[in-house]
Amino acid sequence: MDITYRFEKPANFPEPTYTFENNPVTPEGFRLGRRLFFDPLLSRDGSVSCSNCHQQGLAFADGPQHPFSVGVDNQLGIRNAPPLANLAFKREFFWDGGVTHLDFVPTNAIENELEMDESLANVVDKLNQHPEYPALFKQAFGVDTITSPYMLHAFSQFMVMMISANSKYDKYVRNEGETLTDEELKGMRLFEEKCGACHSGELFSDFSFRNNGISTTFSDEGRARITEHPSDIGKFRVPSLRNIARTAPYMHNARLKTLEEVLAHYASGVQESSTLDPLLNDGAQLGILMTDEEQAQIITFLETLTDYEFIADERFQNTQ
Amino acid sequence: MKRYSYFIISLLVIILFSACEEDEGGTAPTVSGALSIEFDNYVGTQPMQLDPEGSTDYRYTTGAGQEFNLSTFRYYISNIKLEGPDGASFEDEMNASANADEVQGYYLVQEGDPDSYFIDLDEVPVGQYNKMTFTLGIAEEGVQEGAAGGILDPAEGAWFWTWNSGYISLGMEGTAADSPQERVERDGLVTEANTFQLHVGGWKELEGNDNMVNNIRTITLDFGDVVTVGQDVKPKVHLVFDMLKILDGAAIDFSQTFQVHAPRAAVPMADEIPGAFTVDHVHQ
Repeated sequence: MDITYRFEKPANFPEPTYTFENNPVTPEGFRLGRRLFFDPLLSRDGSVSCSNCHQQGLAFADGPQHPFSVGVDNQLGIRNAPPLANLAFKREFFWDGGVTHLDFVPTNAIENELEMDESLANVVDKLNQHPEYPALFKQAFGVDTITSPYMLHAFSQFMVMMISANSKYDKYVRNEGETLTDEELKGMRLFEEKCGACHSGELFSDFSFRNNGISTTFSDEGRARITEHPSDIGKFRVPSLRNIARTAPYMHNARLKTLEEVLAHYASGVQESSTLDPLLNDGAQLGILMTDEEQAQIITFLETLTDYEFIADERFQNTQ
Repeated sequence: MKRYSYFIISLLVIILFSACEEDEGGTAPTVSGALSIEFDNYVGTQPMQLDPEGSTDYRYTTGAGQEFNLSTFRYYISNIKLEGPDGASFEDEMNASANADEVQGYYLVQEGDPDSYFIDLDEVPVGQYNKMTFTLGIAEEGVQEGAAGGILDPAEGAWFWTWNSGYISLGMEGTAADSPQERVERDGLVTEANTFQLHVGGWKELEGNDNMVNNIRTITLDFGDVVTVGQDVKPKVHLVFDMLKILDGAAIDFSQTFQVHAPRAAVPMADEIPGAFTVDHVHQ
């Protein structure tokens, strides 16, 4: 049996959240999702595909030259495109967590005026009129006419397989013969102590929404855009740190260019506002107490989270 | 009349009990019938009628004296349950499937499409019913199954918020003399002057998210009478939904409230939904 396209939970991962019972992964569905991922047909003028802002070599994040996503007509988006990995394990998506199921994620990018600026109905029409897609949907789902839920299911089959669990760190914690250097181990202990309250668990996030002091004012209100509650202004999702060394720039507004800047921010750059996370304000001092050496050691550990097998995995490459 | 009903009920009870005795030891197959629900939309005392978008022919007036008309009026109904005085009960089967033909238990009532006013429930166990419960909107279990087809497919007319994923429970659009909306044209899409778009949505009540707004409402209605579902008798429940109760109950002033596209501003309208439904009558 071909297990190339079988979803398997890594031993050190939590249970997935995706509804596999409604949409089991098949080779045909996965390949169809991959083709859609690379197809600019999704955008209004045929100029933007998902892969424009989600590049495999960068752990499916956008390039440093694009701190904000570039959509149709070269319009700039409002946030830094997040990396894509381990999506089958997440409860909420995007920096503000407004989308609660992986199936609905592509719709957001397709219909956003600054991204693909196309209607879901038009995409479905284009697919139905395409010389090849109808046959591919027939193979994957047994349908004669393409409808949006099947398109979204194909996307999800591709995305749930984007599992990044083979970093040096993973092979170390799973006792697969990998060892961490003394510096990396020191960094890991410091990371757990200084960063682990929010970046917890094997996905290195508690998936909560927090204001990390990146700014004092928030034209992009973040989580409050979804909850419409003033206590959520300036809060953004705590991101997973897997492949973090590949996904610069950092934060929703791409303000920090390097990991050194990120650590320096937490050590001495945290800015106060009414919704600042309590963990970054103990009443006496803002931020997290860390020496320069400790910051460097934490970065050394974070580099062990890069999964080189994931960013080179041929299954995720455009093979048309 | 009452005494007559009592006699019938007693007779039925005797028949039901006798039937049970005969079936002892085996699993009795449930005998099913059908029941139909009609959703009849009103604006105050006037049966609802739609006008073309942007029309300034105002048929209706709010309690506060503001003139308006409607160009679109639509809502989702789901999770229908029936109950009877003697313990009979029915729960509509729910399935938010990608396959449009397999979508079950979710209904879109859309003014102007008379077929959508009637929900036919098959497979209702034979018995007596005097109460129904249903949900207005698509609650968590419908959204969290993922992408679904048919009336839940945004490419085929479902109203879905992409950035705050979820279905719009209730959509009310039209023109109001007091709405300050200006005419807007973008890529051929026109929003006419003085129009209003009031969208009630928001279903989230997730753990650790106390600030979320959940505008899903459950409506419980007494029939005021008892109807009998039999193998050959299909009763009809005629509901009236008075949208004016939503506007007046929420004190909607079109000069202030003419665009609602997020959950929090819609809470006052959502709160009026349960009181806007009444059972007009039942047909046996």
